[in-house]
Amino acid sequence: MLTIKNLHANIDGKEILKGIDLQVNAGEVHAIMGPNGSGKSSLASVLAGRENYEVTEGEVWLDGKNVLDMKPEERAREGIFLAFQYPVEIPGVSNINFLKTALSEIREYHNLPPLTAKEFLKLTKEKQQLVEFDAKLANRSLNEGFSGGEKKRNEIFQLAMLEPKLNILDETDSGLDIDALRIVSNGVNKLRAANNAFVLITHYQRLLEYIVPDVVHVLYDGKIVKSGTKELALELEERGYDWLKEETPVHASSTQ
Amino acid sequence: MATQVATSFYNRLADEFETKHQFTQDTAASDRLTQLRNNAFSIFRAKGFPSIKEEDWRFTNLVPFLDLSFDVHPAGIDTDSLQQAINEQKIPGLDTYQLVLVNGSIRMDLSDLPTEDLVTVQPLRNIINESFFIDHISNNSHVGVNALVALNTAFFSDGYFVEVKKNSVLDKPLLILHLYTSDKDAFFQPRHFIVVNRNAKAEIIERSAGIKDETVTLTNSVLELLIQENAHLVHHTIQSHNNNERWLHYNHVDQQRSSRYDNFTCTLPGADLVRNNLEISLNGTATETHLYGLYLVADHQLTDNHTAIQHLHPSCQSNELYKGVIMDTGKAVFNGKVFVAQDAQQTNAYQQNNNLLLSDKAQVYAKPQLEIFADDVKCSHGCTIGQFNPESLFYLRSRGISETAARKLLVEAFAFDVTEKIDNEAVKQYVQQLIYSKLSSASVRA
Ligand SMILES: Nc1ncnc2c1ncn2[C@@H]1O[C@H](COP(=O)(O)OP(=O)(O)OP(=O)(O)O)[C@@H](O)[C@H]1O
Ligand SMILES: [Mg+2]
Repeated sequence: MLTIKNLHANIDGKEILKGIDLQVNAGEVHAIMGPNGSGKSSLASVLAGRENYEVTEGEVWLDGKNVLDMKPEERAREGIFLAFQYPVEIPGVSNINFLKTALSEIREYHNLPPLTAKEFLKLTKEKQQLVEFDAKLANRSLNEGFSGGEKKRNEIFQLAMLEPKLNILDETDSGLDIDALRIVSNGVNKLRAANNAFVLITHYQRLLEYIVPDVVHVLYDGKIVKSGTKELALELEERGYDWLKEETPVHASSTQ
Repeated sequence: MATQVATSFYNRLADEFETKHQFTQDTAASDRLTQLRNNAFSIFRAKGFPSIKEEDWRFTNLVPFLDLSFDVHPAGIDTDSLQQAINEQKIPGLDTYQLVLVNGSIRMDLSDLPTEDLVTVQPLRNIINESFFIDHISNNSHVGVNALVALNTAFFSDGYFVEVKKNSVLDKPLLILHLYTSDKDAFFQPRHFIVVNRNAKAEIIERSAGIKDETVTLTNSVLELLIQENAHLVHHTIQSHNNNERWLHYNHVDQQRSSRYDNFTCTLPGADLVRNNLEISLNGTATETHLYGLYLVADHQLTDNHTAIQHLHPSCQSNELYKGVIMDTGKAVFNGKVFVAQDAQQTNAYQQNNNLLLSDKAQVYAKPQLEIFADDVKCSHGCTIGQFNPESLFYLRSRGISETAARKLLVEAFAFDVTEKIDNEAVKQYVQQLIYSKLSSASVRA
């Protein structure tokens, strides 16, 4: 589904991503771990098309389509979804109105008619239940005054509504309480399917107990320095990242 | 060159004034009116049209908008198009009374008015020589304030005089439609009066429109409002115009003790020039005033809002929020004066003006002006000029929303602070829908 080859990216002239290779297949869950500032969010941002990153080298393909040629909205319509580490508050834009606009633009892109008001309402209800997202929040201004955890849950609610192919969750677990973590994870597990994939950026092994990854990668100083099975996450939890400094960076993308 | 334009128009007005007054009737009351008009015209004669040398007109050069052979006796009312224009100006889903004026004169046949025990509506031409009217205009008029008011005072011949009766609560809003139509380029100077008597409550929605796109209209209108003790008026002005329209509005509000006045002025893209002067005199204690403004300016348009609030007595509250979105090569001016006299202790006065510039060529000149002479007051003001938050734009786009649609959403969101304050749900919806439909894709794309 997603193929990243030798991806290099700068911000303000400073190189942040220093040659990333990654292959994510449909049906898989990948976890990306790594110390603060190693470039995890940057990788997610580059995939979503944030304009202040400059890609200097490399390729990104989504089911045979050149992602780097696309505008952010085109990437979203093609099925890339980034659940942000820090979702922005947009006062005055209603959550529901925003989702309605997004959904109809995505559907139009795929030559589908917009949902009727009734269909939209039904879908909203269904997805709200799936991720146990408070209907009161859904009707408020986008993220305005939401608590940290509420913002994260809203990201997952949006994800559930838009049903993307490639779901990138940037530290969605940080800020969630224990119950919320379980609810969100259950939701994600229900959304998992043979035709989609998840990339979970996280610092904590706990999330990976709920959503079991097929592969765990370690991003270190802009490069993937190690990939392994879910046991790698346990090892990182115990030993931290320092021992990886000595390891030679690998260019292998996936253990499969 | 530029001044010649104003001079030639000025000369025609001067000739007109001489001729007009050879025909005035000779009654005691009309003598007083003639006196008033003569004084007014001498003020206009002394000041001339406002120029950019005057502080209040520094950023709005009127001269280019006077460059026309305006007809001061417009003719050619196209009755067929009137009904259509009325329908276009109505607010969907809102049941209202209706007062229609064509070229500044009331058309009873097109109006639907409240019963006279609630509200009386009189054509100004019928009462212009009556002593009660001359008393009213002499007491309340602010003839000396500026040249344009003086010019209107010298010439006005018609308009409306609306009076909401003591203790009456209007059961539905009164929609006042000002339609202008002329075969030739025309200059209009209507004069209007609203009196809301003690303990009365009313909601008035004013809309103006030029019916003919191909002729240029310049309107210099003056509206004087008197809000009596304990009365409450909610006053909307929805300005959604076309090019070739140039509007000069001067509204003066006299608020008496414990009265409340809520004004919503919404200017959408369209007219070449809109200059709104809104002046409030708080002439009693414990008054409450809310001014909400929204201006969207596109193309080569110029929208200028000048507001002034005079706190003259203790314990009055005023609250003002004006927000503007300036696109293309549009230009906006905001000037908000708040004056707190020495006696006006326990004044609360808040003012906020925020502007969103959507293009490199868009301009805004914003000036809050606070003059405070009392010591026990709470006053604040803030003014911002900014652009879209790129993070917000990216967030919306990352969900599949096109850049144009995202920008539209953000403009609506910016305007929301003002539109959400409109209590009347149908008016709120209508204004929001106007904002959405008037934002052309080209303009929001920057
Ligand atoms: N706008 C910017 N200008 C300069 N440097 C930036 C900018 N944005 C990010 N960086 C730098 O890029 C590096 C990678 O940041 P990134 O947010 O991708 O890290 P991360 O792995 O997601 O960290 P965390 O675990 O703390 O979320 C950091 O050193 C950060 O300071
Ligand atoms: Mg991060």
